[in-house]
Amino acid sequence: METRDLGPTGHESTIATFGAIALNWLEQEGANQMVELVLDRGVNHFDVAPTYGDAERKLGPKLRQHREEIYLGCKTQERDYDGARRKLERSLDRLGVDHIDLYQVHGLEYEEELEEITGDDGALAAFRDAKEEGLIGDIGLTSHGNPQLILDAMDRIDDLATVMFPLNPVVAAKDDDDHDYEAVLERADEAGIGTLGIKAFAKGSWPPTEELPEADRPYANWYEPVDTPDEIRERFDFAASQGLSTVVSPGDPKLVAMVLDAATRYDGMAESAQRSLVEEARHDDSPVPEQLHH
Amino acid sequence: MDVPRTVTTALEDRPIEGAVCLEAGAGVGNATAGLLANGAARVYAVTDDRTHAETTLERVRSPTDDDGNDDSRRARNRLAVLEADLRALPLPDDAVEVITAHGLFNVVPPADLDAIAGELTRVAAPGCHLLVDDYEPLPDEAAVRDLFALENAAAQLADGAPMVTFYPAEALGRLFAGYGWTVDRHRMLLDPVPWTASHLEAHAEVVRSRVDALPADSELGAALLERADALVEAIGSESAGEMYSLALRRPE
Repeated sequence: METRDLGPTGHESTIATFGAIALNWLEQEGANQMVELVLDRGVNHFDVAPTYGDAERKLGPKLRQHREEIYLGCKTQERDYDGARRKLERSLDRLGVDHIDLYQVHGLEYEEELEEITGDDGALAAFRDAKEEGLIGDIGLTSHGNPQLILDAMDRIDDLATVMFPLNPVVAAKDDDDHDYEAVLERADEAGIGTLGIKAFAKGSWPPTEELPEADRPYANWYEPVDTPDEIRERFDFAASQGLSTVVSPGDPKLVAMVLDAATRYDGMAESAQRSLVEEARHDDSPVPEQLHH
Repeated sequence: MDVPRTVTTALEDRPIEGAVCLEAGAGVGNATAGLLANGAARVYAVTDDRTHAETTLERVRSPTDDDGNDDSRRARNRLAVLEADLRALPLPDDAVEVITAHGLFNVVPPADLDAIAGELTRVAAPGCHLLVDDYEPLPDEAAVRDLFALENAAAQLADGAPMVTFYPAEALGRLFAGYGWTVDRHRMLLDPVPWTASHLEAHAEVVRSRVDALPADSELGAALLERADALVEAIGSESAGEMYSLALRRPE
């Protein structure tokens, strides 16, 4: 599988990163098999979080067995020093390892949170101390919030090694600033920051619960995913061809093998084919009805 | 203004900034929006369809701000929407520096090609740039071909002319070569072309409108409409064919 530089981390990540939340939906034996499958396909970057149910614990056994083959990303939603430190120690404990390669601020959403994490008593101070102690390698940030907020964060956090954010044709088709994650990608590239793409396989929101109760959804994802091999491949190719360092696999284990297959076969994507997906998404969501043309 | 990437891609290597432009066949204003966004000094958006003229004007107006928005006001001041026939343009000779025909020629019947090419050439200043963005003929296996065939059958019955014709880039290049234009470049805008549910519905709507224009007892009309609705239902959406952008230049 193709690898790309992950910003200043010195790591070359495979173009697919395993989103280990998928393990939460499997029993331990299935989780072990999943990790073996992912490694067999050549993936060298895993991403997990304490908020993903049992995922940390279920990743533990195979992570310890294959520790040297895996670049491990984890994250915390705590914004203050003490909370972040506690969550880091808990993740190390639940994963059963003594080092996390990339520790990320999880799901930054509000300006106030950026104030808090960058403050003297904020989460980033805890991250830096942990880095000094060798508990973590590099510092990253994840967000599906306002792109401008991510840009601000990149400006204000000097030692930021990676950013993780949504990128797919549906998002790319929206021209407004609220969806301008391409600006984030561009700025990260200029600054040499590693980029991880999420939501690459999101098709749209689930139907309202009156129409489709949550318990009847066929996938664990909080959005409705694309789910045929062709669509998965198109979406993977699109995300990878935007220039992301790596594309995170979706949260439902039923989709992972298809994504691994797409990543293994990735060979670039013509710009006219990329535009085709954006144009398709634009029309699905267009305020202008009755268009014969593109 | 939301400008589709087909338009931004076609315009990106053309000198639009400060140019007097003609958008031939305004449609829903896609290319007009792109020309204004790229700094055109003036855009004449020509269409023979009242609804399209209104949509194009509306398009340039900021959705959040009716009059106060400076960008929106400036854009509108640079736009003139003209309701006119492309075979008889209400513009003087040598008047425009850039012409866009974005998704125009597929709705031009073969019999009208010469009249339009001649008129576009007349209003083009020496050195004028012309963009012809359109669809290559669909591959045999594309299911949407049947829908376009029904659309053309209904249009032939009602108007005596087809509704959609997909001209190869090479054919339109040769047409304009006959008027002294030379091909500057050819690039692929969409491959494949996504014919979404809303496109198919819009094409079925054309069948409906043409069938409505037939005598009430037309059995053929009813059959065409039924078949068109069934096709839209069966196809859902399909990605097929290619959309190209052909850039031409008139000698200085």
